[in-house]
Amino acid sequence: MQTVFISKLKPFLDAVAAQMDLYVPKSSGAHYVYGRYDPAAETDVEFNNIRMCTPVKEFLFPLRELAAVFPEPLEPEEIEPFAVFGLKECDLRSIEILDKVFLEAEFEDPLYIARRQKMFIISSDCFEPGESCFCNVLGGQPFARAGFDLNVSQVEDGFVIEAGSQKGEDFVQKHSELFTDVSDGALVERDQNRAEAQKQLEQNNAQFKLDAPVKDVVGPSYDSDVYDQEAQSCVECQACTRVCPTCHCFYLYDTKQKDYFGKMKMWDSCMRLTYAEVAGGANPRKALGDRLRHRLMHKFSYFLDRYDIDMCVGCGRCVDAEAGGVDIRVVLKKLNEELKDKGRKKAEAKK
Amino acid sequence: MTGNLYQPIHSEVVDIIDESPTIKSFVVAPEREFKFETGQFVELTLPGEGEAPFTPSSSPKQTEQMEITIMKAGRVTALLHECKKGQKVGIRGPYGKGYPVDDFVGKEVYIVGGGVGLAPIRSLFLTLVDRVKDFKSVVCRFGAKTPDDFIYKKALFGPWQKIDGVDMKLTVDEAKGNWDSHVGVVTTILKPDDVNVANAVAIVCGPPIMMKFATSKLLEFGFGFEQIYLSMEKNMSCGVGKCGHCMIGKYYVCKDGPVFRYDQIKDYPNIWD
Repeated sequence: MQTVFISKLKPFLDAVAAQMDLYVPKSSGAHYVYGRYDPAAETDVEFNNIRMCTPVKEFLFPLRELAAVFPEPLEPEEIEPFAVFGLKECDLRSIEILDKVFLEAEFEDPLYIARRQKMFIISSDCFEPGESCFCNVLGGQPFARAGFDLNVSQVEDGFVIEAGSQKGEDFVQKHSELFTDVSDGALVERDQNRAEAQKQLEQNNAQFKLDAPVKDVVGPSYDSDVYDQEAQSCVECQACTRVCPTCHCFYLYDTKQKDYFGKMKMWDSCMRLTYAEVAGGANPRKALGDRLRHRLMHKFSYFLDRYDIDMCVGCGRCVDAEAGGVDIRVVLKKLNEELKDKGRKKAEAKK
Repeated sequence: MTGNLYQPIHSEVVDIIDESPTIKSFVVAPEREFKFETGQFVELTLPGEGEAPFTPSSSPKQTEQMEITIMKAGRVTALLHECKKGQKVGIRGPYGKGYPVDDFVGKEVYIVGGGVGLAPIRSLFLTLVDRVKDFKSVVCRFGAKTPDDFIYKKALFGPWQKIDGVDMKLTVDEAKGNWDSHVGVVTTILKPDDVNVANAVAIVCGPPIMMKFATSKLLEFGFGFEQIYLSMEKNMSCGVGKCGHCMIGKYYVCKDGPVFRYDQIKDYPNIWD
């Protein structure tokens, strides 16, 4: 795949926007959110140092959408091609995870597929990991490995752009006049930046490092008291699941419109009290601690069993969004310590 | 790709049978042939109002119409109870894994059912009696609150009792009218010598509390965890293992169940809640 160089972002993004709708990062308080790119208005394009606040799932699995129509079947919505710039490695991994669920053979979700096929992914390197970023604890890193059409790395004089798919390659070819050859110096600088960001992540998260793979830490924790203890500071705001780029629970409900009945598909949260309740009133997870356990076991054990990948990318959005005091890094670390204690006691008992 | 998995098949309620004061059976005719395996479930949509999961109570051999027995338990089921013949409804499915009937061949099939739990059991029962010689025996122990609360009364009190190879006993929590049979919860008519445990499988379906006590009774009789099949009722919404509501531990009840062997789920707490 080709790697090229461009000194300014604007001509590059203008070229993308000439072909399709483009969403770019925009500052909002201490965070970035997605905004529609307007080539006429934008002078300075922001390069987000870390992932945006809004999860990428919004583009593929909107908060609420029409899933079926009665009595006439739903005509699939014509999705136009669109591009998102500024996605990070954690976002790409979250797409990989959602793909497992919504592209599963025999159970393909046509609504997801329609958007997924039309999405042009332009990722970029993280150059300054945020306080809540902990992707490295879960095997992630601050730059994309795969899953992008184009990846952008910022260097001193401009940007290194790498194609990661045929679609990306075609784009570079088509707009070859925009790009120049990439110098060895720029590539060295890119690698140095990446190493620097990685180092910073390691430093930030030294206290959260786990002593075993996360599935081995969470898998045997079913009876742990940590969940009940940690749930005490949860205020059930459900923000953790809403901003999570991998949480994909949804709720189907029916509506009456003027000339049709609609079945809607809307995000839901397993932290909600009546989430698992049945009509008769039975509810297997009435206690908040049980719901927190289920959320973590789902992410780090059940999902892994089923799809061979864990369901957390360490983006830290839930840490930022949390209105109560539950910090997923702290919960994992406590489970880690508990496991170590158990191991120690076992070893002592053997002696 | 197989079309939109959220789109129900047009169907019509062609008959409604009053089963008990709180339970009705709806005969539903989908616009095209609809095949299912006994124990699988469907999502029934009342257009504009809501959708809920039910296991058809009719034989899978019947593919033009299915019967769905519904207890008035929540908002959607209360609205369904108001429906009249001719009501347009939607069906999605069939979903999940049903009873592995072929695995029961040569065995004694011990069926414990209570209340509206007889709905999935009826479908299984009809499937079993259709090839009753394939099984060592079919032993049924059914309970209801009062005689009036039994569903499928006509069949249950009559022809089902007289099928060769079927041993059936009924009980009620509270006798009323001219009931002259057993009184007591269903576990009180389960006896260790009802079946030869070594060559038997047990099927339990009913209210959670009944399933819990019936299961512990079966374990007392020496049934192994893997000999007990349970129909789990959870909040199945999407039906295809995505939306998450019906999860018990790692299982999606809608996809991996609704029929589970007890050994699959026994270690998860609150399975009866």
